[in-house]
Amino acid sequence: MNKRSLNEKQLGYVMVAPALLLVIVVILWPVAQSFYNSLFDYRLNDPSRSERFLQSNIDLERYANDFFYLSRDLDGLSEQAPDPDASEKVSEIGSELMGFHEELLAMDGVGEQYEIVEERIASFQAIADRDLKYSQVDNDFAESYKDFLTAAEADLTALVEASDDEEFSTAASNVAGSINSTNAAVIESNFIGLSNYGRYLQNPRMWQSLMNTTVFTVISVGAELVLGLLIALLINRVFIGRGIVRASVLIPWAIPTAVAAMMWGFLYDGQTGIVAHYFEQFGLINDASVLLSTASGGMFSIIFADVWKTTPYMALLLLAGLQTIPNTLYEAADVDGASKWQQFWKITLPLLKSAILVALLFRTLDAFRVFDLIFVLTGGGPANSTESISIYAYITLFSQQNFGAGSVLSVIVFLCVAIISIIFIKFVGSDLFAGRSGR
Amino acid sequence: MELWNKKFVGSVALSLTLLLAACSSDNGGSTTEPEDDDGGDTATEEQVEITYASGVDVTGATDILIEEFEKQNPNIKVNRREMPADTGASHDQYVTIFSSQSSEIDVFDADVIWPAEFAQGQYALELDRFIEEDGINMDDYFPGTVQSGNFNGRQYAMPMYTDAGLLFYRTDIVETPPKTWDELFEMAGSLQGEGGTEFGYLMQANQYEGMVCNAVEFIAAYGGGVVNENNEVIVNNPKTIAGIQKMIDFVNSDFVPRNILSFQETETNNAWVGGQAVFARNWPYMQSTSNDEAASEVAGNVGFSLLPSGDAGNAATLGGWMLMINRYSEQQEAAWEFVKFMSGPEGQKITAVEGGRAPTLEALYEDPEVQEAAALFANEEFVATLQNAVPRPVSPIYPQISNIMQVELSKALAGELTAEEAAANMQRDIESAMNE
Repeated sequence: MNKRSLNEKQLGYVMVAPALLLVIVVILWPVAQSFYNSLFDYRLNDPSRSERFLQSNIDLERYANDFFYLSRDLDGLSEQAPDPDASEKVSEIGSELMGFHEELLAMDGVGEQYEIVEERIASFQAIADRDLKYSQVDNDFAESYKDFLTAAEADLTALVEASDDEEFSTAASNVAGSINSTNAAVIESNFIGLSNYGRYLQNPRMWQSLMNTTVFTVISVGAELVLGLLIALLINRVFIGRGIVRASVLIPWAIPTAVAAMMWGFLYDGQTGIVAHYFEQFGLINDASVLLSTASGGMFSIIFADVWKTTPYMALLLLAGLQTIPNTLYEAADVDGASKWQQFWKITLPLLKSAILVALLFRTLDAFRVFDLIFVLTGGGPANSTESISIYAYITLFSQQNFGAGSVLSVIVFLCVAIISIIFIKFVGSDLFAGRSGR
Repeated sequence: MELWNKKFVGSVALSLTLLLAACSSDNGGSTTEPEDDDGGDTATEEQVEITYASGVDVTGATDILIEEFEKQNPNIKVNRREMPADTGASHDQYVTIFSSQSSEIDVFDADVIWPAEFAQGQYALELDRFIEEDGINMDDYFPGTVQSGNFNGRQYAMPMYTDAGLLFYRTDIVETPPKTWDELFEMAGSLQGEGGTEFGYLMQANQYEGMVCNAVEFIAAYGGGVVNENNEVIVNNPKTIAGIQKMIDFVNSDFVPRNILSFQETETNNAWVGGQAVFARNWPYMQSTSNDEAASEVAGNVGFSLLPSGDAGNAATLGGWMLMINRYSEQQEAAWEFVKFMSGPEGQKITAVEGGRAPTLEALYEDPEVQEAAALFANEEFVATLQNAVPRPVSPIYPQISNIMQVELSKALAGELTAEEAAANMQRDIESAMNE
């Protein structure tokens, strides 16, 4: 044993190292990646922003393709021009374009790369190799090239508007379109630092969705705690048929959320929904249709469905806590003459505290990230009143493919979740996590 | 205990190995040439396989199309890949697939609102060279459908079939359909309750894409617009506001279901075939569902007409589907052959006859077989509607524009905003989205 140079403590670290590594890779890496993404104006559907560029670049595949059309069409265009002024303007644009083009090809290695790319395009091959597709260029060059292309497009558009010659107009506006897409192939850095955060922290829709999420979380978790505790106390008692009751209580939790949401969608329906109908009959709502078609009704609907769905989970966690309380305590209390009510407050609740905190922590974090229930049941409507922050992030990230902004929202979700956890651990649950020996 | 442990470790190791093996064979699979899968006949002639992705098709027309195509092109095999029926969900899947530059799909169905976005994202191949080579005349197609497939002067999509909003009415209650939105408003109010109906009018007002279609119809009927041809946002103008206001009036009237704000096409169709309403706005497919005697209580009593007009005539939103080719497809020429067949007269005829979908080739409406397939296709009014259908804003950031419109319009319909406020908000948000 003495041969080993590690002492017990160091050995301990070595043993946990793989686990720590796993934590870093699995947990911290994605968060860091999201944060890094959020620093860029990063949009998948816009080729000039579809990668994270710290430097100016040229998308050679696109550039070569567009340049082929552009140089051909520009040549023809100056001949078509109806008056000498326009013709001169067009050839001026053409020669300036060639100037920039040659400057680009003269750059280190760009010429050869351009040739390979052109060859591939001519044989209808798409280029998937990132190193071949993009070529880094000088920032100043990219900026002046872009300025020129923007101005050229504006000039051509002006010519189109001034001209009566229809043939020339169509040809010129096609060239303007090609210039526009060539412009998109010259890519400036899309690193924008924290300005996305600035924008989203001032975005009323973000705050509205954060507010919706908070309202949803507080009310639904609160209701689930009370109901879950009642159910746990009930199924902790010995009675005939307890097994069946325990099993059946779990059914809502066992149904996949998307299925449950569809089901509630039918139940809430303003015309045929049975739940909506009875709510109306009992006077809880003044009209069966308000559940899914008004702002407050929509919020109520998702909270009610969530309470139905996750109360069993709460009950299960609390039941586990209840079963760790020794029966002898209640027997002693009985001997001392304590009432059932006193027993609940003095014995059950204090001893259940840690179980309640764990359950609350789980449920709060879960509810704060709510997505599937809302996505299927209301889709964020009506009037955007049920849009949670996760739904908003999803819409931005996937429907609109704005990865930069979507990552900002994801990071905001992450921060909120982290703050909630810290609050729970720090102020409420310190004795829970600091070890139970102190109590 | 020890034995159990060994077994456990063993099985974990085994399953991990299997998992890894599965992963690696997956990777291998995507890089191998498709010819390898066939085995034998590569030597005799060059056999290629392409994958065609399209939404759920209950009519079976897609299978017939593929069969016919394979018969004509024995060296091309078409594998079909089914996508979700909901267009939003399939959009998100396509985007995931194409943004990773995968070549797993060669040809795919695209909703009319996608081409600009997919073109800008470099997901789709421009078809101009092919179109020129094969001498296809784009003037044979309805102009609106060709235009939706065009971005920056290049054609990225071929129209396959088209759709436009229609006004359905009960022929047993209504003698002549209303000509204007105001007339419809009046008639829906006064006829509500007749013939066992419960409602006067049905439309789509849920917060989703279909509501944008409804709104575009109101807005265009009153001469307004959202984004003009020069890509300028023009939504905040009195005409657009008048259109939105009319839509608000309908939604808040007594003759629509009180839960109209949760209505999509399915709800509209269900209520309609149940005989609950006098009028309804929906896509042409409702013509066939409402005449299906097994499921419909109103079979034989359903007529349709153009949507009513506002101050500036009438307008129907252009819907329908296009065909596009994946830019990263390894079989672009075979893919084009398939696209050409499907969008050509032969393919569209099969789609029309077997699938009941409206062709985009104007000449096909003269074809007796097509006219026989559905009463709709023989109707001149319907063809006129298709010709004049208004496209939704053509923009690469259409999903974002649509989302902004959904949110603001939904707020206006729910009474949280006035039409003026909604228009001003849309103007501000769409402008800032386009300037980003």
